[in-house]
Amino acid sequence: MNPELLLQLDRVIHEKGRLAIMSMLAAAPELSFTELRDALAMTDGNLTTHIRALQQEGYLTVAKSYQNHRPLTTCSLTPAGRKAFADYINLLEQIVRQNKAK
Amino acid sequence: MESDWAAEHLQTIRTLMERSAVYRRALAPIMIFNGALGISGTVLSCISNIESSRAFVLAWAVVAAVALTGSFLLVRRQALKDSEPFWSPPTRRVAQAMVPALTVGLFVGMLAILANGAGQSGAGVISLIWCIAYGCALHAAGFFMPRGIRLLGWLFILAGMGSALALLLTTRDGIAGGQASPLDPLFDGRGFFMGIMFGGLHLICGVYLYFTEKGKNAA
Repeated sequence: MNPELLLQLDRVIHEKGRLAIMSMLAAAPELSFTELRDALAMTDGNLTTHIRALQQEGYLTVAKSYQNHRPLTTCSLTPAGRKAFADYINLLEQIVRQNKAK
Repeated sequence: MESDWAAEHLQTIRTLMERSAVYRRALAPIMIFNGALGISGTVLSCISNIESSRAFVLAWAVVAAVALTGSFLLVRRQALKDSEPFWSPPTRRVAQAMVPALTVGLFVGMLAILANGAGQSGAGVISLIWCIAYGCALHAAGFFMPRGIRLLGWLFILAGMGSALALLLTTRDGIAGGQASPLDPLFDGRGFFMGIMFGGLHLICGVYLYFTEKGKNAA
C-alpha cells in the first residue's frame, strides 16, 4: 500500500459528515438544507458547521431565497468542489486497485 | 485492511449518491387521493349511464385531469411544508419518466373521441390500454422512486394483459366472433374495471404506504 496515496486524500472531504454532504450534492444540481438534514439525519448545528467548512474551502455555495414567503436555503457544489470530489473518488479507487493487485 | 476501508467508503458514497437522486415525497396521501377519485369516477359513470366510447373517454379524462392537478397540489403542499423546492430534480425526473406512457394513453383517448364509437365495446379496450400504459408510466417512474412503485407498475401491466387475455378466452368464438363474454359487465361504460384498478389498487397501495412510510420515518 502506497502511503503517499493516503496522504493525498483531501482532509476536508475525508471527514465522514462532509463526505456525506459532498456525495449527496454530487448526484444533484442542488439540495435544500432540510433535504440534506433529513437524508443524513444530522442536527441543524452539525450540518451548518460542515457546510461552513466546505464553503470556506470553496467547494460549496449556499443560496438563500424565498419560496411562497418562506425562507429556502439551497446548497450546490462549485466546479472546484466537483473536481475535488472526483479526485477524492479516483484516489479511493486507486487504493482499492492497488491492494487488489497485491 | 486499507483496501476494505476504501471500498466501504466508495460503497457509502454510491449509496448516498443514489439516495440523493430518489424521489422522497410521501406517496400515501397521493395514492389515497387518486384511489378515492378512481372509485368516485366509477360511481359517477354508473349514475350518468355512459353509452358511447366518446362519453366514456371524456368522463375519465376529467377524472385524470383532477387526479393530476390534485397530485401536483399535494406534492407542492409537502414541498412548502418542508421548505423545499417543488420542481426539484427528483420530481422533474419522475414527471419526465411518466410522460411518454401517459402520452400513449392520451393519444388512445383522443383517437376514441375522434372515432366516436357508439357501442360500449370500445370502453373495454380503452380501459385495458390505459391500464397497461399507466403501469408502464409507474414502472418508468419507479427507477427514481422507492422500489415498490415498480412493483405496482408491473401489477397494472399484468392485470391489464391478464384481463385482456381473460376477456378473449371467455368470449365464445373469440372477440371477432362478436359473442358476449361473462366479463363484459366489467368493461362496459360503467367503468368497473377502471374503478377496481385506478380506484381499488391505488387505495390499497395508499393505505399500505400510510403505515409503512410512517414506520420508516420513525426508524
